[in-house]
Amino acid sequence: MSSTPSTPSKPSEPSNDEHVLVVPAQFDQVRRVTQFVRRIASAAGFADGVLDQIELAVDEACSNIVQHAYVGQSDGDIRAVVHTPLPLGRKITISLLDSGQPFDPDAVPAHDPAAPLDDLKVGGLGLFLIRHLMEDVHFEFGLAGEYPTDRRRYNRLTMSKTR
Amino acid sequence: MNFTLEVTQPFPDQPIAVFETGGRLDASTVFELERAFGAAHSPKTGLGMRVIVVTMDGLRYISSSGLRALLAARTALRKTGGDVLLCTLSPAVRDIFDMVGFDTIFKIYPTREEALGIAKLVVTS
Repeated sequence: MSSTPSTPSKPSEPSNDEHVLVVPAQFDQVRRVTQFVRRIASAAGFADGVLDQIELAVDEACSNIVQHAYVGQSDGDIRAVVHTPLPLGRKITISLLDSGQPFDPDAVPAHDPAAPLDDLKVGGLGLFLIRHLMEDVHFEFGLAGEYPTDRRRYNRLTMSKTR
Repeated sequence: MNFTLEVTQPFPDQPIAVFETGGRLDASTVFELERAFGAAHSPKTGLGMRVIVVTMDGLRYISSSGLRALLAARTALRKTGGDVLLCTLSPAVRDIFDMVGFDTIFKIYPTREEALGIAKLVVTS
């Protein structure tokens, strides 16, 4: 296995149309990302109910980036990369990249809907929603930038949805 | 579509507030709800409301930020014998409540009138 970090901008699967949007990592910019993804998914044939699920998952992921990855940092950005289905394809794949603080997804307290109220770990609500609304959810950390001069390390959340 | 909130006190002699919510409740708008909760129930600096009925028929979207704000308000009010009662959830919002298990935490009523009836019982108990 090569120790060279993979570049965050390249899709792991050969395909199709790639759509990219970069916004400042601010709460009032999150909706630009959700509407960007929603428009692409809608054009790809996803139904309204599924679009709502995709929108919420992207919202939660971007909000986590603003609130946690870039905590104390005001100059970060979020890069959204959307791969639309091939003709006759049924799966859309969304990647969200940031260059903020990495985190351990397994260390986030898991939200348990059946837990007694006193034990409720509401801190993990966003991650819970992402994992329940989307498929193939996985995180990568420490990815190299697209260009050699970019010394930053990137975090990437990739998730998909099948219609 | 932004978040909208209208606060009323339906019974002048009772510490019951109604929050009519609409639009989108997410991380960029939740501060409006949190501020209104604080203004309504804080015994020292607020109006001392004991029960807050949240009508949600106009609310089309809620993220985890909104869910956490509702839960925090419920916790605060229940410490003083009050409660947060929800009513008229849209199907999309109801789906999210069911998914995260909040349907078993909050008292949820199909109509505003039913929620107000329970609110009166809470403040007189």
